[in-house]
Amino acid sequence: MRIIKKTNIDFLGKTNITTLLSIFLISAGIISMVLNGGPKLSIDFKGGTLVAVNYTEPVNIEKIRSELSSVLIDGQSFNFSNAEIKYFGDESNIAVRIASMEEEPEQFSKKFSDKLASIFPNLVPVDKNNFILSVEKVGPKVGAELSSDALMAILSALLLILIYVSVRFEFKYAVGAIAALVHDVLITIGVFSILGYEISLAVIAAFLTIVGYSLNDTIVIFDRVRENVKTTKNAPMKNIINQSINESLSRTIITSLTTFFVVLILFLFGGEVIHTFSFAMIVGVLIGTYSSIFVASPVVIKMDSK
Amino acid sequence: MEKNLTPRYLVIGLILTWAVYTLLPTWQYQKMTENQKEDLRASGKLERIETKIIKQGLDLKGGMYIVLEADIPTLLTNLATLDDERLKVIINKAEEESKNPDVDFFVALENNVKSDGIKLSRYYHEYGSSLDEILLSLKDEADDAINRVLEILQNRVDQFGVSEPTIQKQGKHRIVVELAGIQDSDRARSLLQSTALLEFYLVKNISVTNEMIAQLDNLLKGDKDLTKLELPNKPEEKKSDDEATSVSELFGESETINTSTADNNEDDSQLSLNAPFSSLLTALPGDIGLEDKNLYRFKKLLSLPEVATRLKNSNGQFLLSQNNQEMTDNSIEKIYKLYYVEDKPELTGGIVDEARADLGSLGSGSAGQAVVSLSMNSDGSRTWSRVTGANIGERIAIVLDKKVHMAPSIREKIPSGRTQIEGFANISEAKDLAIILRAGALPAPVNIIEERIVGPSLGADSIKQGTQAVTLGLILVLIFILIYYKFSGLIASFALIWNILIVLAVLASLQATLTLPGIAGLILTVGMSIDANVIIFERIREELRRGKTPKTAIDSGYSRAITTIVDANVTTLIASLVLYQFGTGPIKGFATVLFWGILISMFTAVFITRTIFNTYVSRKSITSLSI
Repeated sequence: MRIIKKTNIDFLGKTNITTLLSIFLISAGIISMVLNGGPKLSIDFKGGTLVAVNYTEPVNIEKIRSELSSVLIDGQSFNFSNAEIKYFGDESNIAVRIASMEEEPEQFSKKFSDKLASIFPNLVPVDKNNFILSVEKVGPKVGAELSSDALMAILSALLLILIYVSVRFEFKYAVGAIAALVHDVLITIGVFSILGYEISLAVIAAFLTIVGYSLNDTIVIFDRVRENVKTTKNAPMKNIINQSINESLSRTIITSLTTFFVVLILFLFGGEVIHTFSFAMIVGVLIGTYSSIFVASPVVIKMDSK
Repeated sequence: MEKNLTPRYLVIGLILTWAVYTLLPTWQYQKMTENQKEDLRASGKLERIETKIIKQGLDLKGGMYIVLEADIPTLLTNLATLDDERLKVIINKAEEESKNPDVDFFVALENNVKSDGIKLSRYYHEYGSSLDEILLSLKDEADDAINRVLEILQNRVDQFGVSEPTIQKQGKHRIVVELAGIQDSDRARSLLQSTALLEFYLVKNISVTNEMIAQLDNLLKGDKDLTKLELPNKPEEKKSDDEATSVSELFGESETINTSTADNNEDDSQLSLNAPFSSLLTALPGDIGLEDKNLYRFKKLLSLPEVATRLKNSNGQFLLSQNNQEMTDNSIEKIYKLYYVEDKPELTGGIVDEARADLGSLGSGSAGQAVVSLSMNSDGSRTWSRVTGANIGERIAIVLDKKVHMAPSIREKIPSGRTQIEGFANISEAKDLAIILRAGALPAPVNIIEERIVGPSLGADSIKQGTQAVTLGLILVLIFILIYYKFSGLIASFALIWNILIVLAVLASLQATLTLPGIAGLILTVGMSIDANVIIFERIREELRRGKTPKTAIDSGYSRAITTIVDANVTTLIASLVLYQFGTGPIKGFATVLFWGILISMFTAVFITRTIFNTYVSRKSITSLSI
């Protein structure tokens, strides 16, 4: 069976359109981030408390929101109606996210989940241990540390990859590869910002996997280019790259499809906890395939013509 | 191919046998019923099996993950022999600066000390004379403190009987505690948190206490600002007999409450204007109580500068009990006990040598009752003898982390340090106090800075959905590869299944923990591993199209694909190593699986498939290849 017959598509001839598309996608994301005051960060980075609970039947979020407008803890009144309240998986599960407080009452998460239980006392599971799905509490200091760690992780991954590709190929290829990676990460962050998804530690892991995956794709094409440069001397770089992309096209499509299937299944059936992780991966697989052809390769040509 | 294939088969056979052998305990363990596990645990064999199986992360089986940090600034304040504002300001400044993750607390402290010109030797003369010397020994003290916390936590967690706890140091001043499958997260949290500074305070006597309450009432009377502290929505129920009780009646004879002549209709705010402090309090038999609905107002009042000054001038402070017990007669309200104690402790933790809960021995006054016996070191015994001798009849509060656990009366002078505490409701109450007394060797308080709890039901969902997703993803990829590459696809599928099995075997032998992101990593490995075969097969197809024989097509296909695969995989390996380096908990799990998955895929997707192809083409002279 063969999906892709021998092709001869002028991929690089379409660079003008794709450059516009990339610029459009990146600026849409940046505009969204500027409007929202930066990417939406999870409590991993901002600090705060996330409490997820499980009622036995679907519940109304607005009812919970109005109940949370005045919560009495140790005699102190809190207004949590501005907290982020959303469904977690299905409509009987609720997750509430509360920002870090200057002076948090003791055993706050416990007292807060008690409050959530008291809103719908009849919908609390018989075994009370099953009411709390998860609690995450991150102090502001830890949040700041995780942020700087995550930034360090992405930057050092990019640097190490730049070095490796420069050694194995040439510097111009490394620049092309890094350009594609920055492009991918920017667009993925932008998509997250536009859709209002938050960036958690798991999403950072997904970003780094996207970096690895997109690079994988780029290198397979560059490898072909390197080989074709040796065999066909004197041909213009543009033609060689076009030929290489065409030759590796069937592999690109098959691999992208299988990986896409796999992350799609993860997204659909993997459960709530890795939902955003697998979503980042879906975006990354699509953008990663696109960028190897339409970002990495044109950049190499630009660098070559200098 | 003329090359001898035997060594290749030997390598493959060895590795596959090892993988099966390593996974066997996990497989057996999965099949076991709870009863069988219980039998094995009884005979002590279960632990040995458990060290050989793949561990599940907290996100899969439910549990708690807690990061504790030793409060070094407080430790330093406690260690100082001289207690003054100048040092406190400098320590606070250094603490503030070290909130930036790139700034080390001790570096910030050193800079602040230098810029202020303060002489540390005035405060820490026991720790050396020069600044460097003192800082070095203080650092040692901090390291030592966290190591003791670690040791004590290990003891305590063991005593409370949590299965397979993990307690380890992270960085210099942090401890990570992982408690798997824990059902009662409140108990676990209070168990960890109560690892803090143990102190013994003298409780001021009744008349001094009442005098102070009256003084504070006078001080705050008519303070207009106080109305701001009112609850936004006043409690509807007003059963405020005791709130109107006069100060002198408040403490001591609880009977007077019922005969109180207070005007029940008196307005709440009017009352809190006349007696803003005592109106928050409740009389208990022999103690003062504070209802938890008044806790916030109470703390606000205490934090007012004029109140703080008054208390400071009187060398006193208010402390609350650890538990808010429910009243026995009307069990609606939860009430803390309130103690007015000296502002300086008589003794601090570290002096307790041993503390044991027992039943009182026959013949003594406490026969058959739960008691705690404790012994002290020589330093402690000396002070203890003086304190008890001078305060017979007074109460001494046992305070852990500024919370009063118990305030027994001193009956006689205790010269030897051998002390017996009585008055427990049952033996387990006595046991809890004994644990707290033993843990008292902590000079620094411990704060929870990160906490993650996964309930058992979410964990069960995750593992179900995770397994489903992996199985489904795998089946889909296998079907696709079989249809697309036919016989060669079968070889690739075989390699892929072994890839997964070997990764699991490596995880089991590394004692690594499988987390939900780890399962995601496994799925990603499936995708990446199949990519290696796709690259090879597409190359072979190309070579075949150029008219090469199957044998030469396979040879050149593999040799050309291999550089691509290595380059592509090495970059992913770099990404996974960086992830491992910077990631925490679950992310590390993802990185571990991805790293081994990619590494092993080079063995299965390249080495194993190549060997099978070679066998296939060397057997007979074939003219076509099913690919």
